[in-house]
Amino acid sequence: MRAAVLEALVGPDAVRIADDVPEPVGEHPMGVGGRLLVEVHAAGVSFPDLLRSRGEYQMRPELPFAIGAEVAGVVVEAPEGSPFAVGDRVAALTHWGGVAEYALAMPQHTLRLPDHMSYAQGAALYLNYCTAWYALHRAGVVAGETVLVQGAAGGVGTAALEILVALGARSIAVVSSDEKENAARAMGADAVVRSDGGWLAEVKDLTGGRGVQAVIDPVGGDRFVDSLRALAIGGRLAVVGFTGGSIPELKVNRLLLRNLTVCGVEMVMMDSEEPGTVRMVNDAVQALADEGKVRTLVGAEIGLEAGADALRLLEGRGAIGKVVVAVRG
Amino acid sequence: MRGVVIEELVGPDGAALREDVPEPEGAHPRADGERLLVEVHAASVSFPDLLQSRGEYQIATPPPFVSGGEFAGVVLEAPAGSDFRAGERVAGMSIWGAMGEQVLALPRYTLKLPDTMDYAEGSALFLNSTTAWFAIDRAGVREGETVLVHGAAGGVGTAALEMLKAMGARSIAVVSSDEKERVAREVGADEVVRSGGDWLTEVRELTDGLGVEVVLDPVGGDRFTDSLRALDIAGRLVVIGFAGGGIPTVKVNRLLLRNLTVTGIGMDPMERRFPGTVARVTDAVISLAERGSIHPRIGARLPLADGPEALRILERRAAVGNIVVDVRT
Repeated sequence: MRAAVLEALVGPDAVRIADDVPEPVGEHPMGVGGRLLVEVHAAGVSFPDLLRSRGEYQMRPELPFAIGAEVAGVVVEAPEGSPFAVGDRVAALTHWGGVAEYALAMPQHTLRLPDHMSYAQGAALYLNYCTAWYALHRAGVVAGETVLVQGAAGGVGTAALEILVALGARSIAVVSSDEKENAARAMGADAVVRSDGGWLAEVKDLTGGRGVQAVIDPVGGDRFVDSLRALAIGGRLAVVGFTGGSIPELKVNRLLLRNLTVCGVEMVMMDSEEPGTVRMVNDAVQALADEGKVRTLVGAEIGLEAGADALRLLEGRGAIGKVVVAVRG
Repeated sequence: MRGVVIEELVGPDGAALREDVPEPEGAHPRADGERLLVEVHAASVSFPDLLQSRGEYQIATPPPFVSGGEFAGVVLEAPAGSDFRAGERVAGMSIWGAMGEQVLALPRYTLKLPDTMDYAEGSALFLNSTTAWFAIDRAGVREGETVLVHGAAGGVGTAALEMLKAMGARSIAVVSSDEKERVAREVGADEVVRSGGDWLTEVRELTDGLGVEVVLDPVGGDRFTDSLRALDIAGRLVVIGFAGGGIPTVKVNRLLLRNLTVTGIGMDPMERRFPGTVARVTDAVISLAERGSIHPRIGARLPLADGPEALRILERRAAVGNIVVDVRT
C-alpha cells in the first residue's frame, strides 16, 4: 500500500512516500478491543506527529513507520462483538500510521463519522475535539462564563471555540495574524485579540476589568504569566500543551493571592486513574458531531504525495485549523 | 488602655507594652465603616503578626500600632443592623490590634464563640480553622480520600487534621520532629512521615504506590516538587502559604503529564469577588466547633506584658500551635 513513511528521527525531511509498504497486521499496540482496520480516506497530522518525527515524543513505534495521528475512513475489518461493523464511516485516533491507505485504529479511540461530515472533517475531529472538550471539562467551564483561548486558530484552539459556542460560553480568541483572526471568527469567537499587541489589557477591557473565568492554553511559552494575569479571581487555567516551544515556569504565589487554579490535561493518562474518562469524552464529542454542532476547520488539505509538507506546515507554525492529507483523492 | 505596640518595623524588638494606648476610635479601616468594638480577653499571634512587625506583610497599617491578629472577647459596641450585639462572646481576626484591651473587629471576620470554647481557644480559632476549611473545600476533598498535610503540627496543619478526621478522610502528616509528630498524632493524623527523611517514598508506600489525592501545603519551599510527585494522577495541591520561606516554582509540564491541579487560596480576594464566601466558611467552622470536632491548639500562653516575647517565639519557630496572650488576667 501507499504511505508516508518516516525513515529516521530527524523531522519532516525523513518522510518518504512509498508504494510498497506492507498492510498493517494484528492489532494496534495501544488498542483495546481487537483488530480494527480502516480504509483511510483522509488523515490528520498534528503537533505530536512533528515531535514524534524528531524523536521528541515519548510514544512511538520502531522505525520505519507511517506518520499520521488520526484518520477518517471506512471500517474494513472489525473485531467480533465490537460496536463497529465493516462499512462504517469512522474517525479515529491512530497516533501513527494514518497517512497510509490502511491503518489500525484503536477501538477505544474511535468515533462514528456522521454522514454530514466529510472525511477531511473527520480527520480533524478526534484529537482536537476530545482534547478541547476535556480541557473545558477539567476547567469546569459552564454556560455564561468567559474563556480565553490561546492559539485560537490552531487545532485545539478552533475546536475549543466551536465547543464554547455549543456550551453557551463566551470566548476570547488570542491569535497572531489577520488570517488567523478570520479563522477564529469563523469558528465562533466572540472576541479576538492579538498576541503581539496589548492583549492582556484588551481582555481586561472586554471583561469589565475582572478577567476571564478560564484560559485554555495549548501554547505555553512566555505568555503564560499574562494568561494567569488575565484570569479573574478564582479563575482556572488548563494547560494543554506547549506548541509555543518553551515550557513555562509558574511561581506559585501567583495562585495564592488570587485563588487561581492551574491544571494539566491529559485524557489518556486520566483514564487509567478514572476509568470511563475516555468514554465520557468520546460520548460528548460524538454527540456534538452528531448534532452538527462542530464542523472542524480543515486549514490545509494536501495530497498523499506531499505528505512531508504536512509536517512542515506544523513546523512553520503557519497552520490554521487542521492539516489534513487526502489519502484517497 | 494597655497594649503591645509595634513602634518600629524592626521585628519583635520594635514591640513594647504600653499603658497609655488610646482606645480605638471609629471603625477598623477594612470594615467599611462598621464599628464593632470588642473587649479582648485573649489574643492570638501567628506568623503574619511577625511579618507585620517587620513591615513584610501585604496587609499593613503604619506604626505605631497594636500587634495581634486574632482575638476572643466580648462585644462592647456593635454596628446597627449587624448580627452582633453588646455582651456577646465573639472571636475573630482583627489583622492587628488584638494585644490590646479593646480592639476594632471586622464584622465579616468575626464569629460567635460557641459556649464550649474558652477565650484562649477562641482566640486561636478563626484564622487557622477558616484557612484549613477553605483549603479542604477548594481541594474538593471527599470522604475516603487520602490527604497529605505539610506543616502538620502548625496551626493550619492541626486544624486540617482535625477536620479531615471529622469528614472521614485519611490524613498523612508531614512533620520535622518527635514533638511535632506527637502533636500530629494527638489531633488525629492517620499516618505521620518526617520531612527530614525520605517521606516521598513513605507516602507512596502508604498509598499502594499510587500517591495521595490531595496535598495541603502551608509550607512551600524546596519540598514543593516532591509534593507534586506525591500526588496520584489527577491529584490536587492547594497552596496555602510559604511558612518555609521560599516561594516554589513549578514547570507546568509536571501538571500536564499527570493531570495535576494546583490551586491557590486567599479568602479575602475570594470574598471581594464572590461575597458570601467567608460567611460560608465561618458557618462551617462554627458548626465544627459546636460539635466539638475542632480544638485550636495552644502552643504557648503568656501574659500581656510578655507580648513582645510572643513574637520572638514565632521568630525562633519554637511554638507548636498558636501563641495565646491573656489580655485580662
